[in-house]
Amino acid sequence: MSGFLDGIRCGDCECNVDWGERRNTIASIAAGVLFFTGWWIIIDAAVIYPEEENFHHAYHTCGVIATVAFLMINAVSNGQVRGDSYSEGCMGQTGARVWLFIGFMLAFGSLIASMWILFGGFVVPQKHVVYPGIAIFFQNAFIFFGGLVFKFGRTEDLWQ
Amino acid sequence: MHSHYHSRWLFFFILYYFPLCSTYWPLFLLFFYILSPIPYCISRRVVDDTDSASNACKELAIFLTTGIVISAFGLPIVFARADVIAWGACALVLTGNIVIFGTILGFFLVFGSNDDFSWQQW
Repeated sequence: MSGFLDGIRCGDCECNVDWGERRNTIASIAAGVLFFTGWWIIIDAAVIYPEEENFHHAYHTCGVIATVAFLMINAVSNGQVRGDSYSEGCMGQTGARVWLFIGFMLAFGSLIASMWILFGGFVVPQKHVVYPGIAIFFQNAFIFFGGLVFKFGRTEDLWQ
Repeated sequence: MHSHYHSRWLFFFILYYFPLCSTYWPLFLLFFYILSPIPYCISRRVVDDTDSASNACKELAIFLTTGIVISAFGLPIVFARADVIAWGACALVLTGNIVIFGTILGFFLVFGSNDDFSWQQW
């Protein structure tokens, strides 16, 4: 055990971190944090307010549709949409574009619906407990932005 | 590997405070701990192209691993807010989380970055 501190060199870190290469990893981590934080917010709200009168259970649909939209948006790669990938896939370039369009429609729709639920279902009726409405809004906002980060934060260039 | 084992024991000592509070709900976290290296290991075994900078399978694995880590932090907080466990116990579990995930991350950084990842290394 003698001399075990001899090998420590301060400030000599040879971490040649190439941030260009790490961009995809960082985008994946950020998207994961956002997406799952959104779901844990709604789980928290559902656990604290399990009664129907405080948190109408149909409001969960918004988050589910947002998750479906997330999966749809990220299922097609940018290469398929541009049409410059090797294989055409099931539906071709046009099919990929329609799929992406529907995915974005569902994503924006669920984000807007969450705002509607917050204001129409909780703020305007002046409900005693507003936290579920805020939770729904933040869930959908986080899922939406997680989807955007995962889609556009990653680069598909094979050689950099 | 010895520091790896010692941090695991530290975690288990932290987690065994729970019988004092007579609740075993936080042991569900073990599920997340066991699950956390799996997506990355699967992606390493399935896809072998280390040349390309972008790799959809590896990114999906990192996404799922991040989700598992977030869930391991979120579950004790949800328990504490629902008064299933005390906030002090929650703080202990979160500390244990940090130790465990730091250990797993350190393990992958030190031992995992090989081009020739084969089971013969074990």
